[in-house]
Amino acid sequence: MGWPTLGQCVLPDPMLELLPPLNDKNLPWLDVIHPIVVHFVIAMALISVVFDLIGVVTRRQNLFEVSFWNLLVATVAIFVAIIFGQVEAGLANPYGASRDILNIHSTIGWSLAGVLAVLTGWRYVVRQKDPTVLPSGFLVVDGLLAALVFTQVYLGDKLVWVYGLHTVPVVDAIRSGVIS
Amino acid sequence: MTLFAAISSPINEIVDSLGANDLPYSIPIHPNLVHLTIGLFSIGIAFDFAGAFYPLEKRVFRFLALPVTRTGFHDVGWYNVLACSIITFFTVAAGFYEMLLAVPLPGVKTVLGQGAISTMLWHAVGGVALLLIIVVMTIWRGYQRFVWRKDLGRQVSWIYLACGVLILLLMGIHGSLGAWLASEFGVHITADQLLAAGADLKEALP
Repeated sequence: MGWPTLGQCVLPDPMLELLPPLNDKNLPWLDVIHPIVVHFVIAMALISVVFDLIGVVTRRQNLFEVSFWNLLVATVAIFVAIIFGQVEAGLANPYGASRDILNIHSTIGWSLAGVLAVLTGWRYVVRQKDPTVLPSGFLVVDGLLAALVFTQVYLGDKLVWVYGLHTVPVVDAIRSGVIS
Repeated sequence: MTLFAAISSPINEIVDSLGANDLPYSIPIHPNLVHLTIGLFSIGIAFDFAGAFYPLEKRVFRFLALPVTRTGFHDVGWYNVLACSIITFFTVAAGFYEMLLAVPLPGVKTVLGQGAISTMLWHAVGGVALLLIIVVMTIWRGYQRFVWRKDLGRQVSWIYLACGVLILLLMGIHGSLGAWLASEFGVHITADQLLAAGADLKEALP
């Protein structure tokens, strides 16, 4: 068959031939892509919050423009992150408590896409009126955004650093039936 | 050789305070700070590109009625790289702390044919080199912004942008080495370390 058996997923044979082969990390590509794409969500969302704060405290209004653009990049990037996240989650074969963590991580991920899109839209309207002013309400929402991002990063970290999903030893153990 | 083997690793002195992942905490810090270093540097360079090609983009923005300024793009280019410089000191520091406690799985080779110790050494030396490069780039960027190109619309030289692209390629390879330390060598991954120790994950990691 040329397809590593993973227990749960049984597809009719002709369909299997259409799928690319999976490597020793159970991926159709060299390394996980989702953790690379999230660089741009995490870094840009958090720095946007930081620049908003510094902008308000030091009255440097050009920082609001910097945080706006960073927020926009985070919003674009999160949709790419979700696409790769869904594909790689589908191939992750979570076991034990990591099943629940992956479910919550997916739910927060999709929600965060909505939150970021709304925030960027709101910010765009505010910026259209006067790019030198940031409504103080936005700082409160910034705090919530940062909290949401930290939670999401923590859950994703657990999947990688505690449960080792898509790492060679764990994939090997799953394929040999040691963990399920 | 016999003498070398007789001296045990200094990690043994603190082994009681470490978890199964060989760290005193469950989630490594360095890979999280890396998000900030890579994200900030690459988006900083990207926005300086957007600023540099502004005369070409101008018509598109006008066509779409988007209020965009060239200085805005270059502000992102400057402040993101500046923030990257500050944060990367912590990225490298955390990386060294966690590398001192790393216990890579034996007998593994990466796609580049490197073993654990050469991957770690290249990643460590490369990390310090990249920190230096990022700081130098930031100083260069600052001089262009505040002194040399103060009165010019395009705030960065083409050489700066070319260097940025080159550094991003380097960062990509460098980051891959770091990623393999986790995904291939199981460094600081609880499940991988438990499996290597022969534990039953159904009990050890329910």
